[in-house]
Amino acid sequence: METIADFEIQYSQFLDPAGKPSADIPDLARDTAKLVDMYRHMVQTRVFDTKAINLQRTGKLGTYASCLGHEATHVGLAAAMHKDDVLAPSYREYGAMLYRGVRMSEILLYWGGDERGSDFAGPKHDFPFCVPIATQCLHAAGAAMAFQLRGEPRCAVSVNGDGGTSEGAFYEAMNIAGARKLPVVFIVVNNKWAISVPIELQTASKTLAQKAVAAGIPGIQVDGNDAIAVRHWVERALARARKGEGPTLVEAVTYRLSDHTTADDASRYRKKDEVETARRLEPLIRLRQYLTDIGSWNEKQEQQLLQEVVANVDAEVQKYLNTPKQPIEAMFDYMYRDLPEFLEEQREHAMQYGDTNGGHHG
Amino acid sequence: MITFNLPDLGEGLPEAEIVSWHVKEGDTVKTDEPLLSVETAKAVVEVPSPYSGVIARLHAQAGDIVATGAALVDFAESGGTSTAQKKSAPVPEADEPEKADSATVVGNVPTGGGLLQENAIAGGGRRRKGGRVKATPSVRTEARRLGIDLADVPATGKNGQVTSADLARFQGTLTKARPARSSPTPGRSESLRGPRRAMAQSMTQHRNEVALCTIFDDADIHEWIAKRDFTARILRATAAGCAKAPALNGFFNAQSMSHQLESRVDIALAVDTDDGLIVPVIRHVEEMNLDQIRDEVARMKKATLDRSVAPQDMVNYTITVSNFGVLAGRYATPLMVPPTVAILGTGKLQHDVVAVMGGIEVHRRIPLSLSFDHRCITGGEACRFLAAVIDDLEKPQ
Amino acid sequence: MAEMTLIDAVTTALAWELEHDPRVVILGEDVGVNGGVFRATAGLQARFGADRVQDTPLAEGMIAGVAIGMAAQGMIPVPEIQFMGFIYPTVDQIINHAGRLRNRTRGRMSCPMVLRAPYGGGIHAPEHHSESTEALFAHMPGVRVVIPSSPARAYGLLLAAIRDPDPVIFLEPKRIYRLNKQNVEDNGKALPLDVCYTLRQGADVTVVTWGAMTFETLKAADQLAKSNISCEVIDLATISPIDYETILESVEKTGRLVIAHEAARTGGVGAEVAAIVAEKGLYDLKAPIRRVTGYDVVMPLFRREMDYMPSVAKIVDAVRESLHD
Repeated sequence: METIADFEIQYSQFLDPAGKPSADIPDLARDTAKLVDMYRHMVQTRVFDTKAINLQRTGKLGTYASCLGHEATHVGLAAAMHKDDVLAPSYREYGAMLYRGVRMSEILLYWGGDERGSDFAGPKHDFPFCVPIATQCLHAAGAAMAFQLRGEPRCAVSVNGDGGTSEGAFYEAMNIAGARKLPVVFIVVNNKWAISVPIELQTASKTLAQKAVAAGIPGIQVDGNDAIAVRHWVERALARARKGEGPTLVEAVTYRLSDHTTADDASRYRKKDEVETARRLEPLIRLRQYLTDIGSWNEKQEQQLLQEVVANVDAEVQKYLNTPKQPIEAMFDYMYRDLPEFLEEQREHAMQYGDTNGGHHG
Repeated sequence: MITFNLPDLGEGLPEAEIVSWHVKEGDTVKTDEPLLSVETAKAVVEVPSPYSGVIARLHAQAGDIVATGAALVDFAESGGTSTAQKKSAPVPEADEPEKADSATVVGNVPTGGGLLQENAIAGGGRRRKGGRVKATPSVRTEARRLGIDLADVPATGKNGQVTSADLARFQGTLTKARPARSSPTPGRSESLRGPRRAMAQSMTQHRNEVALCTIFDDADIHEWIAKRDFTARILRATAAGCAKAPALNGFFNAQSMSHQLESRVDIALAVDTDDGLIVPVIRHVEEMNLDQIRDEVARMKKATLDRSVAPQDMVNYTITVSNFGVLAGRYATPLMVPPTVAILGTGKLQHDVVAVMGGIEVHRRIPLSLSFDHRCITGGEACRFLAAVIDDLEKPQ
Repeated sequence: MAEMTLIDAVTTALAWELEHDPRVVILGEDVGVNGGVFRATAGLQARFGADRVQDTPLAEGMIAGVAIGMAAQGMIPVPEIQFMGFIYPTVDQIINHAGRLRNRTRGRMSCPMVLRAPYGGGIHAPEHHSESTEALFAHMPGVRVVIPSSPARAYGLLLAAIRDPDPVIFLEPKRIYRLNKQNVEDNGKALPLDVCYTLRQGADVTVVTWGAMTFETLKAADQLAKSNISCEVIDLATISPIDYETILESVEKTGRLVIAHEAARTGGVGAEVAAIVAEKGLYDLKAPIRRVTGYDVVMPLFRREMDYMPSVAKIVDAVRESLHD
């Protein structure tokens, strides 16, 4: 018999968990200012995330999905994107969103139960959080289709988790993107857990990157805790896409150090030592170590940075806490561009009843 | 012999041109074997044989244009099979895949409906007809039962609709108000209509529901200074009775078992006219002096005689006075109209022989019959009422 | 002015928008080279190119999701789902995203798209090709549902739907795709959405219907006219949101309402029309509201499909009953 197709999936890492180069550092990393910038964003994200959990635990935020451990993946992918590219996230990628100009107060408003959190002042064309798993992959493909039809040098990037790769929409998106060579990059954040379902139960596929093979597009697996690796490969994928060579799947392997959300208790289904082992591989340590090793970072800067980011977070939290609830009629005013007649009566009815006091805050 | 006609090759095409025959006369064919090629406006179509048999006759040649439904080929009977049955064998329900563009990938999209002519009006706002009566279906049913035209009933509902209470009040006026439109023909059974029907229905209801009790007495009007003023005196006396026994001035609701007293004394006054009984309402009699009552009665009488009484002047009264005894009858058991609870009837004025201290005299007297609904009025209340009426009537003025 | 069938009208409207609005893109299975299995998009790819009229892979959820992504980034996609029976994988995208994107982002993003699908029974089709489940979408806030019943309305309403800034599900009654022709002028004039169309004025009973059922209803009205019963026939056209003002005005005039629809009875859009009239038109009603609908069963395979559907006789009887109350 003749083998008529086979495949190969490569794995890439540039920094090992101790921050030491494990392969030739790519050119992008010579721009140490950019690396430092990425690191600053990662720390900002970490501090924000910690604060958000605290807000939830003190009744000031609704259910929240922590991104602890994902900072390199999220910031790395965003650092690779152009400003006018478009991001289609799931609901955890704060590092990417903050890097691209979404405000912390907007993220808090969203989890705090206020739609205005999705009305980004910054990246106006980025998609909002997407809860139905992997449906955003198709939106990214559609966005990419729009860019292609209009001849724009823009790309779409979707992000979904390991669980999301089991959804039909994930495959359908890769499939059409491959068939039409759409300028889109599919990022799969393999953090090993889909709520309580481990990757071993999720699929028989040895890597998630190889799911790209079925769609006829390239797939690569990278160390998701290595910000340099993530950025490097996403940059290359975007360059490919922008040139019209079609989509790529980038699997970033990391670990969900937190619970799935604040309503979840991962200790029910995960072993403590597994988490501890993973924690030693976490992304902030290694990038900080690398930057320190090459003389681009020091303790003083670290302290300064922490002060800065804490102040930023506090300011944004204040902004969020001081935002009053939307008026009642807001639930009607954005259903259609123009309020249809039949809704006017209902709108008046709702307004007539005034405020039902509910919710934590505002 | 079976004739196979050119079938509809799709989309209601009217005709096709024969490109070539795949058989000739005398050939034996089996079902589904290719028979001929035809060209339609859209494509060349292979027509398979619908039957097995021997080709007896081809009705057209290559190059001919055949109309859909026209004869194409005759099949001779193949030995033994009844051709009569075959003739009526239907085309199998699962249509064979058409080679012409059937313009569907499943089933069969029907065509040939002709040119659509329509005159569709977008939206509304064009047909509002004001003045249509509004009422719930239950009120409509009740009105139908009572033979009442809803358009005649004054509506007090919040949305402009006739309520059941409106209907009940209006119904009360009808049994006396509307002149009978036609008398029944002797020897012929005729369905009751209009006010007579309403009367039959409301009297039945009355009989079924009201606990009727009547007290009879007389008022001695010998002392009267003015000899006339009959109606006005009766009305004033009735108001006096209501003041003494308010229980008789109001409404009873049997469903809710509630009794609603009124402070206003609006008296429905039955007036007999040439056109029949009319019942105008004299309002707030409790506030009027005799002159005022007299003037109001005169006004109402005039309006009644020249038929200018407004509908709202015939409804919504709290008690009734009926001068039934104009021609004959001293006493009666008059029936009040629910939801009112009392009716005072006056009989024929008589010169009666009465016993007085020291002898016998002849005095004019008014016979009185007070009917009341014993479900909500006690005998005592009724008697108090009647005593007050008599008391007022017997005053000189 | 040209004589065209309903399907021709769809094609003509699509062509108009493709020509006049570069943002419009058609996508779906078999819509390009084949021109659509009902020929709705016949000739359009040849005329406007494979970028504007795209043959997609076979995945309905994908078709809807990609359309949403395109719409959110400034295109006007007009995806086609080949049959309503296959629309269900799109429900996730339509309900969770198309109908919500504007609301979710406070107007920052919106979803101007028209999802077209042939719907309804009566063409002797195999299983799943005869669905009428418009109520599913009618229930969802943020999504309009429009159903034309004539070539002229197919043309005008489809233009309106494509030009509407919010998502529209455009369901085409396949039974009348080719039944009649009508003179329609290809002048780019849209018909208003959100209004009913009175197809026939009358004084005795209001009959509200839509889609292919308008034909049975008009036939019933003809039959009833012979007994001097005059029906006012109203085509809902926009199934959601319903123009209840027109219906209420009609009921104010006639006092009687019969609703006829092909879809199953329970939770059908007829129930909503009945509720509205019971709420706002009770004082005008002289008889109970009646619905003539499909039964609450799976639509039978085609040998019995016409027994499932409301017929002229069933509509006539319902009208007569409402006059005898």
